[in-house]
Amino acid sequence: MGVPAFFRWLSRKYASIVVHCLEEKSKECNGVRIPVDTSKPNPNEVEFDNLYLDMNGIIHPCTHPEDKAAPKNEDEMMVAIFEYIDRLFNIVRPRRVLYMAIDGVAPRAKMNQQRSRRFRASKEGAELTEEKDKIREEIIGRGGYLPPDEIKERFDSNCITPGTEFMDNLAQCLRYYVSERLSNDPGWTNITVILSDASVPGEGEHKIMDYIRRQRAQPHHDPNTHHCLCGADADLIMLGLATHEPNFTIIREEFKPNKPRPCALCNQMGHELKDCSGTAREKQGEHDQFADAMPGSEQEFIFIRLCVLREYLEKELTMASLPFPFDFERSVDDWVFMCFFVGNDFLPHLPSLEIREGAIDRLVGIYKDVVHKTGGYITHNGFVELERVELIMQAVGVAEDNIFKKRKDDDEGFKRRMKDKKKRMKAERPPAYMTGGQFAPQALGGRNRPDTVQNARHQAFDMRMQNNQVRSDAAQSLKALMKNGAGGPSGAQDARGVKRKAEDSDSEPEPEDVVRLWEDGWKQRYYKTKFDVDSTDEDFKKKVVRSYVEGLCWVLRYYYQGCASWKWYFPFHYAPFASDFKDIKGMFSDFEKDTKPFKPLEQLMGVFPAASGNFLPETWRELMSSPDSAIIDFYPDDFAIDLNGKKYAWQGVALLPFVDERRLRAALGDVYPDLSTEEERRNSLGSDLLFVKKSHPLCDFIRELYLAESQEATQMPAELCHGIQGMLTLDADPILPDKPVESPIPSLRDIMTNSAIGVKFLDPQFEGDHVFKAIVLPKAKMPAKVLKPGDWEAGNRNSNRGNWRPQLGFNPNRQQAHLNQSAHRNGQSYEQLQRDLRSLCGEFRRRGKRLKVVSAMLDVSSVVFEASSEFLPCFGHPV
Amino acid sequence: MAATDVQEFIQQNRALADQVENHRGISETNKQWDARREFVLRNINEFEEAQIDQLLALSMVWANNVFMGCRYNNELLDKVNEMADGIVVEDAPVFKTREEIMKKVVRLKTSIFPTMHNMF
Repeated sequence: MGVPAFFRWLSRKYASIVVHCLEEKSKECNGVRIPVDTSKPNPNEVEFDNLYLDMNGIIHPCTHPEDKAAPKNEDEMMVAIFEYIDRLFNIVRPRRVLYMAIDGVAPRAKMNQQRSRRFRASKEGAELTEEKDKIREEIIGRGGYLPPDEIKERFDSNCITPGTEFMDNLAQCLRYYVSERLSNDPGWTNITVILSDASVPGEGEHKIMDYIRRQRAQPHHDPNTHHCLCGADADLIMLGLATHEPNFTIIREEFKPNKPRPCALCNQMGHELKDCSGTAREKQGEHDQFADAMPGSEQEFIFIRLCVLREYLEKELTMASLPFPFDFERSVDDWVFMCFFVGNDFLPHLPSLEIREGAIDRLVGIYKDVVHKTGGYITHNGFVELERVELIMQAVGVAEDNIFKKRKDDDEGFKRRMKDKKKRMKAERPPAYMTGGQFAPQALGGRNRPDTVQNARHQAFDMRMQNNQVRSDAAQSLKALMKNGAGGPSGAQDARGVKRKAEDSDSEPEPEDVVRLWEDGWKQRYYKTKFDVDSTDEDFKKKVVRSYVEGLCWVLRYYYQGCASWKWYFPFHYAPFASDFKDIKGMFSDFEKDTKPFKPLEQLMGVFPAASGNFLPETWRELMSSPDSAIIDFYPDDFAIDLNGKKYAWQGVALLPFVDERRLRAALGDVYPDLSTEEERRNSLGSDLLFVKKSHPLCDFIRELYLAESQEATQMPAELCHGIQGMLTLDADPILPDKPVESPIPSLRDIMTNSAIGVKFLDPQFEGDHVFKAIVLPKAKMPAKVLKPGDWEAGNRNSNRGNWRPQLGFNPNRQQAHLNQSAHRNGQSYEQLQRDLRSLCGEFRRRGKRLKVVSAMLDVSSVVFEASSEFLPCFGHPV
Repeated sequence: MAATDVQEFIQQNRALADQVENHRGISETNKQWDARREFVLRNINEFEEAQIDQLLALSMVWANNVFMGCRYNNELLDKVNEMADGIVVEDAPVFKTREEIMKKVVRLKTSIFPTMHNMF
């Protein structure tokens, strides 16, 4: 989701959805690492069936990490990716399916965002290289030392796009990885691995959703499957809710803000590129083996329990006295839809809806009000009821004016406080309300004890007078501010708006804001500045609103049914206002049918700037820079950024031209014949692959298919694989048991005794007009409730509710350990207890476990901490 | 050709004008389309029918530059500005390109300008 603040808002409002992950670390014995046995029960006290990996969330941090030194070459990147997957596998321990989905060609609607990112990344990369070279010269000129530039070519993260050689290599490496783990890792023995690489069209997270949706729709699906989805996107939460599967958990890295980054030039911590002095790094550890490890730097993971989120939503969305029957599942779908208003990857969000301002709460409030008038829910199975949505939009429209004014007030207040703080810090003056002289605060515990007070009344009088002066100064400056401040509203004559005077501060001047949404006439100014059109041009406004309405329908359908159209996109850089949504019912009927995605290399032409042309065949690359090219306009060297009132370039809107599909295809038609066989292969659409170990019940069935050399697709027998269905076809160059698998990575061995078998896999197919139902399946069992019941009263022994206790983690009956009275009776002091605790923690850490102190009572008569029950018996303490 | 000349041209070459009308972009406002259409019509005689896409590309280069602030190779910009000679655009929008913003930031020596390594 394009809304990074969404997760922060969600996890603050609904705090109990987060559970920290327990990660069992591998032990060391005589200097040899003993890998963790993932076939053992999960230390998180939960057993997952399926683990889905949105691979792009793993590929990016492993190939160009932000918080550590970059890997030196492609092989190191692949190994980093394998290790990351191993970590996730260790934490989650899926028992049935591991699904790895890499982003393939995305729908056109997403391509514009991808284009914007890649154009920007390319320019940032070029700027960084320039700066690095400049500073490198400076340092060497001064006689400093820098490690030789081992990374010959800067890693262009734009190569993480379907169709490049890199993604092809990655797919090959993953096939090797899967075969190796299936053959040798006991935790993988019984699982089915499905790999959907970049040659299969569709975004990673949506390929996963497609899989789940289609399995749900076939009769053999186990409705109580416990799913675990790995990814950092906030919209995975929405996707998870949209499945209506009762057991759905998301795992993601815990976000730690403001983490330090290593210097881009010398890879050391503690300074930035511009401050680099290139001094030799100190060896860390005898053989510098700790060089790459930052203290306490390893990323921790958290689980997000969607069943707990559903409990929260049930409390929030339950509505009484509705004119139609209340159905919680339908209101969840409506909630998901409203979250899209606030931000998604395919549409710019409405200017009046900012998540930081509580937009979702506002929408939910309006929704609960309006739903009595609408006569029903606003969505159904991912299809939007436009009439009802209009009522909500109109209600937001009414509030728009106030929203903008309040936003400005909050902004101003914030800026004022920051300025004052800066001034104070500079002057090193304490705040005006601090007492001075003999009444000034004195630090405790020092040698000098404060003297007795002299002439208190005189001092008090002086302080009062001084205070009056400060206050009258402040009043005067406020008066002055009000006189010079914003003049009268600029009306229609001044449509473009007067440039705002830069505030006098010694910092950078404020970015100009021409639109000034908080002043009357904002609608005219907005349409004039952003769209270059008169706000009286109703036809044009209708065009924008119509496209936006199409967009809302498209996005919702994308989440619930799959991609409705590979061609549709929103052709403007800005959204209209909520108040412009009038008579929207007739604006949209259906999308063009039977659309197809771009092929991988075609898509590269559509998302890459000319600077990344090296990833394309030569004659294709020329189309990006030759003045005679019929598509040269798609590749500007530099483009405008609309800061929209923000400060930094990356926060602004990039005004890039939209790709004209017809002209692109026509231009490529001329150069298609130039593709080599290799490039042709990379340009074709691929297929999902399924792997199992030879001991898996499905293996023999697959072996038979290969022996029979069947050319047709065959249905998977449901009983062989936990009710999973799909169509199997033979792979042209298959992974087969006892056939050695060559390692594509020099540092890793070939697999001489391979036990894995691979075959092509296709999700169950349905008729074109099939509608996937957004319901809880009949035999599904809802998990036990976790949150405090609404009518719970503390200490009320009589009601059943009194038995409720907060639940930590997945197991409601988690074992707790107590440090009991004997410790107290033995006359242990507080210090002794601290020492005991520390050694306890140390003991656990040495055994590779983690211990968390949950609560300590003030009188230290008992300390409660949590530990998994299997660890307790090995402990000698009187615990 | 002044604006009135364009109208005359359109009247006299109905079929051609209709054909050109097909190339209007969905997001183009009346003002933007009028200007770009003029560009195309002024130069249409220099291009054969098979090369119409090249003319369209050049018209977009010019329009993107004027209405969206895109910058291209200087030679290319010179060429399209020549081709656009005589077209009058009233009240053209003003833009700051990304390079200009970044230069300004560097010049002011702000302590950190965060670079965003976008993930997707």
